[in-house]
Amino acid sequence: MWDCGVNEFLEQFLIESRELVEQATGDLLALEAAPDDAGHLDSGFRCFHTLKGAAGIVDFLAMGRLLHAAEDRLAAVRTGDPPASRGLIDECLACLDQVAGWLDVIGATGELPAGADAQADALIGRIAGMDHVTMPADWVEGLLAGHEAERPQARAAIRYAPDPGCFFKNEDPLAIVAALPDILALEITPAQPWPSLEHLDPFSCNLVITVLSAASPERLADLLQPVHSHLEIRPLAGTATLSPAALGVLQEQLRLFSAGAAEGFAGRLGSAGRVAGHVLRRAGWTTQAAAVDAAVAQSQKAENAGPFIAALEAALDPPAAQAAPPPDAAPVTLRVDVGRIDALVKLAGEFTVVKNALGHVIRMARTGTDPNVLAVVLKEHHDQFSRLVGELQRSVLGIRVLPLQHVFQRFPRLARDIAQSLGKSVRVATEGADTEADKAIVEALFEPLLHVIRNALDHGIESAERRRELAKSAVATIRLRAAREGGQIVIEVSDDGSGLDLATIRQVAAQRGIGSAEALAILDDAAVAELIFAPGFSTAAVVSDVSGRGVGMDAVRTTVARLGGKVGVRTEAGRGTSVTISLPFTVMLSRVLTVEAGGQSFGIPFDAVVETVSLPRSRVATLGAAQAVVLRDRTVPLIALTEILDLTRDGAATSSEVKIVVIDVAGQPGAIEVDRFGESLDVMLQPLTGLLRDMDSVAGTTLLGDGQVLIVLNLERLLQ
Amino acid sequence: VTVRPMEDGTIMLEGNCPIEDADGLLQCLLAAPAGPVDISLCKAMHTAVIQVLFAARPVIRGPSPSPFFHKWIEPRF
Repeated sequence: MWDCGVNEFLEQFLIESRELVEQATGDLLALEAAPDDAGHLDSGFRCFHTLKGAAGIVDFLAMGRLLHAAEDRLAAVRTGDPPASRGLIDECLACLDQVAGWLDVIGATGELPAGADAQADALIGRIAGMDHVTMPADWVEGLLAGHEAERPQARAAIRYAPDPGCFFKNEDPLAIVAALPDILALEITPAQPWPSLEHLDPFSCNLVITVLSAASPERLADLLQPVHSHLEIRPLAGTATLSPAALGVLQEQLRLFSAGAAEGFAGRLGSAGRVAGHVLRRAGWTTQAAAVDAAVAQSQKAENAGPFIAALEAALDPPAAQAAPPPDAAPVTLRVDVGRIDALVKLAGEFTVVKNALGHVIRMARTGTDPNVLAVVLKEHHDQFSRLVGELQRSVLGIRVLPLQHVFQRFPRLARDIAQSLGKSVRVATEGADTEADKAIVEALFEPLLHVIRNALDHGIESAERRRELAKSAVATIRLRAAREGGQIVIEVSDDGSGLDLATIRQVAAQRGIGSAEALAILDDAAVAELIFAPGFSTAAVVSDVSGRGVGMDAVRTTVARLGGKVGVRTEAGRGTSVTISLPFTVMLSRVLTVEAGGQSFGIPFDAVVETVSLPRSRVATLGAAQAVVLRDRTVPLIALTEILDLTRDGAATSSEVKIVVIDVAGQPGAIEVDRFGESLDVMLQPLTGLLRDMDSVAGTTLLGDGQVLIVLNLERLLQ
Repeated sequence: VTVRPMEDGTIMLEGNCPIEDADGLLQCLLAAPAGPVDISLCKAMHTAVIQVLFAARPVIRGPSPSPFFHKWIEPRF
């Protein structure tokens, strides 16, 4: 997790940049469809411009350079020279892809990946329409970025661009460089792109040499005196500099404690200390980092942030430039409509009113007010309170609601790319993208929709030539339509392709043993179409001649079923296919811990789990027929899952260690012995039906990602 | 001569290769752009010679003439 408060700035940067990338992608695609559309061109240009600015602010120079190059090209297009071409749009999209990739890395690590400069250079070269790449505007940063490990020791950066005629003056540039002390890194690049060998002038120097050295700039300048007119030496404070981002992070740590002591002091101090130490070490300030560490220990002991603040302030005294902050995991953020936040703020105010009113009731009780009067007043406040709690619940759930736009907006681009790789042409039209659904549903929809769209592109949509023969528009259309129908969200993906080949589906279903030939023969067309969702029916290279990554449609059905929804298909030969997914508006997800016993997986409701422990078997005490373990001075009854469910134990269970899930059900402690711990999952529980309905030790079942059924245990029953 | 083509197509660099060798090497590489260029007997190369290797990127054989060459030049080919 990100340390609280520290990286808000970076988080904001990530959120906004991702939105800008989406927006720019949309604009470029629109521009491709209508190359004269000045509105989309302007909007796309602004996105690139804003992204570039943002990258500059947070010091991601490679990203800034790349965006700058793309922005330049778009600026040229705005003046009409040259007009937007398919090639340029491809390059700009590639540039956005790269930025999106970097944003993911930044989200995970807080910084650009090590190879970002090279990646940026390659793309800049492509955007500029040439293979050669000139040195970045700020060559020092470029050099340092390529040699992160050397950064702390580097005291000088040298850029030596010998005169092309230097060979005739008896100058041997690399020999001069070879004589330099303490070289940490050396790059040799052509000053001008290499010509073909026939045109190479072997006596004209075409090299630019950049060097990082641990020697002092003065000494290097001395040694390089003979070539000083072709030289740039920049002193690097090396270990004595911090980037603005790192500086910001450190100052944030200080701010955390400037307001004086608050709750959770030890935890906050520990966390702030770790962050500060990390940032300092990262920048090579090992001495200061050690001082801060020591001060944290001192502060913890004294329960006073003084020493920590002093040490950090001392470290911050000489501020400067380079390095990056060190977070370790991607943040999970949710953009929420301001109106919803306002509603919560208003609710908080109403809660305060009720709290104050209760204070008044306490005074009434103290002054000996008649209990009957008190009861009436309390009842009134209780009603008010219930109303507010209800509203709070609704508001909080409302925060989780997102428009389907979040998932829809990704498809025009994806469909374009997939279609392109198949030599087809498609446009995606969306309808009802503002339809809202639970965040869990919206996010889980991406994959099944992608499968459906891929299948449509692979198998449904004909090639452009074929479409022309059929007098259809050469550009196919995939329509994504969402609507709210009662408590359901209905999403329809329809294409104007060839429709499903029902005869082939019958044949394949028979071959794959999905049904007997007789059974299949009596199915009507609609039922045959539904066979594409049957497990084991892979459409790859079968239904149509187009070979492809036939994604099993059964995966779509499984995912949708897991969300509590249904999927269906309608098809009309020659006119197209439409897949309809209906889902509940909200999903009540329960979190379960999966465990294994007797070779089977079970789910344990997470809210009952206190902890998981592994103990030597000798710690298990037998009390009559029952077993128990002593945990934290408490005797807790131990139930072996294999025994209670009549399962055969596998090898793990007889080992010298017992694996125990400690649970607490309505205040009653218990311990469940399992063979293995699994993972924690958010699942949608489905109540048992049919024969299993009477099994009261089972709370419900859920489908796992691989189609397996997970049985979730009813702990109350188990403990009885 | 410190640069010469061998019978098997290898281009040999020997001893101290001065600036003049840049052209000789270039001519050899024009005939056989991929080399290989054998530098095992080479003791030093002028930047002009190294530059030709940079521009042509032939296959290079043999140990580097110097630690500097080995550490900083060779990886850049």
